[in-house]
Amino acid sequence: MPCKNQLSKMKKFKSLQYIISALLLSVSLWSCQESENPDLNETGEMIVKFDNYVGNRPLVLDPTGSTNYRYTLPNGQEFNITRFGYYISHIKLEGPNGEVFVDPMLASAAEIKGYYRVDQSDPSTFEIRLKDIPAGQYNKISFNLGVKEDGIVEGAVAGILDRAAGGWFWNWNSGFIHYMFEGHSPASERVQGELRNRIRLHLGGWKNISPTDGTPQRFFDNNVTISLPFDATVRVNKTMRPSPHIHMDALQVIGQANFAIDNNIHTPLEGRPFAQRLSDAFVVDHTHQ
Amino acid sequence: MIEIKNKKGGWILWSTSLFFILLIIGCSQAPEAPVLDRYQFEKPSHFPEPTYTFRNNQVHEKGFKLGRRLFNDPTLSRDGSVSCSSCHLQSHAFADTWLHPMSIGVDGREGKRNAPPLLNLAFHKEFFWDGGVTHLDFTPILAFENEVEMDIEFPEVVARIQRHPEYPRLFKEAFDVDEVTGPFVLHALSQFMLLMVSADSKYDRYIKGDSKALTSLELDGLKLFRQHCESCHQEPLFTDLSYRNNGAQRTITDFGREIVTERMQDRGKFKVPSLRNIEVTSPYMHNARFETLRQVLDHYTDGVTEQVTIDPKVFANGKPVIVLSSDEKEKIIAFLKTLTDPGFLSNPIFFNTND
Repeated sequence: MPCKNQLSKMKKFKSLQYIISALLLSVSLWSCQESENPDLNETGEMIVKFDNYVGNRPLVLDPTGSTNYRYTLPNGQEFNITRFGYYISHIKLEGPNGEVFVDPMLASAAEIKGYYRVDQSDPSTFEIRLKDIPAGQYNKISFNLGVKEDGIVEGAVAGILDRAAGGWFWNWNSGFIHYMFEGHSPASERVQGELRNRIRLHLGGWKNISPTDGTPQRFFDNNVTISLPFDATVRVNKTMRPSPHIHMDALQVIGQANFAIDNNIHTPLEGRPFAQRLSDAFVVDHTHQ
Repeated sequence: MIEIKNKKGGWILWSTSLFFILLIIGCSQAPEAPVLDRYQFEKPSHFPEPTYTFRNNQVHEKGFKLGRRLFNDPTLSRDGSVSCSSCHLQSHAFADTWLHPMSIGVDGREGKRNAPPLLNLAFHKEFFWDGGVTHLDFTPILAFENEVEMDIEFPEVVARIQRHPEYPRLFKEAFDVDEVTGPFVLHALSQFMLLMVSADSKYDRYIKGDSKALTSLELDGLKLFRQHCESCHQEPLFTDLSYRNNGAQRTITDFGREIVTERMQDRGKFKVPSLRNIEVTSPYMHNARFETLRQVLDHYTDGVTEQVTIDPKVFANGKPVIVLSSDEKEKIIAFLKTLTDPGFLSNPIFFNTND
């Protein structure tokens, strides 16, 4: 009896062994299948760096009220910059072999995704880290300069779009200041409270309303899509994290403006000529593989 | 005849009657009000779909009550003197009293436009007289930051709430957030304002089938209203949400809608106000020019003059479009008073209490 019992136990044990090995085999086969196509799920990162310039000189902030005028317009007017930055959203990468990466967007009260703000007073904002990019080659980046309708119609949202957290938000004409330029110029006689020689260029506007009664358009959408080819094709994978460096030249945005007159821009229509020059201000200067 | 005497029979009778009682209760409640949650947004059956983004901010009791407390809290103005409720009083459909044709902000500063009533805001897409604010959530920011209203930067409002002994706990309970941030402050205030639904006036009862809700005088008024006023004050909201110059300014000094659209075609235009609860929201127009409804109707028939952007529905061919006899005006006014919603004006859920 004990012998028989042992036998049956052994039999059971053997069948258990079979089951386990079959399971292990299928699991390993299944995992093999996974590793046969490593590229399918491999992702990597890219760091997009923004370097701001005034002409060929790095953009440096001066304290509000400063009379140290570092820069000069083509018309000879001197100026400095006391606050500067811009919103970036809807980033997209494209590659020569059909690679596409679209940075996910989300706007809610608890969190936002895909909205960035390059703020000259905070160097940590000069680099945008893109994650979960499918491994592959890339040679083009495009993004929206500003905050489009999708960042406004959801109502109150978090992060850099939260007015309470310093979001650049127009309270009287709902929308965000896409591109912020503040400073002083002796050419400007504009006074803002205690501050003299003020220049404030706040570029915003996110909708075009075209009436059907033949009267002119109301409101102006000053969002601008900026598409920039890289100077070289870069490779993204688990270990390679390339970094395109984008140069932004504020002089291009100011264009032929005259700070004696154009020193207080706060509405979509006033900002329109400046916004139309935005895409000329950005260029991919170089790329680190 | 069946006589039930034994225990078993008694049980049958008991359970059967219970069944029918439950059935009756169930039946009588089901069609009218399935679950009575006073803090839930319910679209009135005769209203259009709301435009508010409820997907991001569903109204619930804790959020509503938190919003109510913020709405009544004067410490959220620069010098602690003015709350939202200072200029938006429930008894006046959340407009200001007639004593303040222009509302009084901090330091006794006088506003530039008449404080509008707050009602049925879930159905509006643009806010304030010029419609510059495009989402209900954003409306408090302008009231906080306007120097003639509460004159406080919104970041400072949120900082004060963060430092408050009770608010952080209430935000945690209402929104499950560890830190009070701007969007949740705005969501709480929106929740409070979203329940300001006025849809139970005598007019509404008439529309929903109670043919006796309106007197024959009021019905005459409704007929005249539909003939002369409806094209702008569209039912059931009693506004078509458009912007028009009705000649309220003798000379245009407040550019109104033009300030936000930046087109002179919109000079002196203001949002067509709802007429619900109009009986208790005197004075009228953005500039509080008229104290009585009769003065308003007299303006439309006799006071409107040629202006660059005057609305063709009130002035055309060199004269006012609307022609009404004195009798007809009284009938229209009688009808307008049927838009008063006593249940809304005295609904205790809006009372200033910290319960």
